[in-house]
Amino acid sequence: MNRIFILTPLIVLLVICIFSLVYLLSGKDPNKPPSALLNKDVPIFESSSLYNAKDIIKTKDIKNKKTLINFFASWCSPCKIEHPLFFEIGKKYPELYLLGFNHKDPTSDAKKYLEDDGNPYDFVGVDSDGLIALEFGVFGLPETYLINEEGKIIYKFMGPITMDILKNEIEPLL
Amino acid sequence: MKLSHFFRVLYITILSFVFCAFKTLAVENIDERVKNLTLELRCMTCQNQSIYDSDAEFSNDIKKIVKQKLQEGESERDIKKFLVERYGEYILFRPLMNYNNIFLWSFPFILLIIGLFFVLIKTKTKKA
Repeated sequence: MNRIFILTPLIVLLVICIFSLVYLLSGKDPNKPPSALLNKDVPIFESSSLYNAKDIIKTKDIKNKKTLINFFASWCSPCKIEHPLFFEIGKKYPELYLLGFNHKDPTSDAKKYLEDDGNPYDFVGVDSDGLIALEFGVFGLPETYLINEEGKIIYKFMGPITMDILKNEIEPLL
Repeated sequence: MKLSHFFRVLYITILSFVFCAFKTLAVENIDERVKNLTLELRCMTCQNQSIYDSDAEFSNDIKKIVKQKLQEGESERDIKKFLVERYGEYILFRPLMNYNNIFLWSFPFILLIIGLFFVLIKTKTKKA
């Protein structure tokens, strides 16, 4: 009986250690916390086009269509890495609406970037003050969100998208 | 006549001084509140740094938002709620006291009770 009392704290400690080890080995990156907006409605936004200030896009405009939202900027080097992949996505999934948000970028720089590297987006919205990014919980560029037809965020990725991520994580949701 | 003019000028000077003092105090108060609140918030792009201590762009944006919201009269609780809704609880250094975190908050007390229980058992068996 006494032995059980002595062993119990050790067993409790062992269980805690096992749980911690399982968490550490689960591949979760503590620097990439899950999005608070996952499985929630897409935030309310309104943005004008990079090419025509009178052309406005609002949250209701992306309702009933699957949308891939990408926050990018000309000054963001990792954005350049993932940029060509959006052309592939656009080609492979023509029904998918590609919405790019140009984040805190001078208009001329953003236009030049898309002129040099090409424009894969169906619409390029301006987020000059970063308020749209704030609503989406963006904290570093690039960030990509997949929105379903019901207007819910079903996927979020922080950092540049790679072919592996596209194949293994995004394509199964399309 | 001259004396009344003097008092009028003195009255206006005192009023201006009081107004400026109150304004400075209010600004200092807001800055102090921004500091206190942002010290409790985690910079999401830095390693274990508070938003107040960080100069990252993300932190500067959040400092601006916090200041703007405080100036608009929002409470610290509302601002925290606003940020948690967008960035998750990860942005808070101190986890929220809610149903999801009940185990986290109560675990030290559970351990303490278990510990006391074992100490009691041990002393009883020693006495016996």
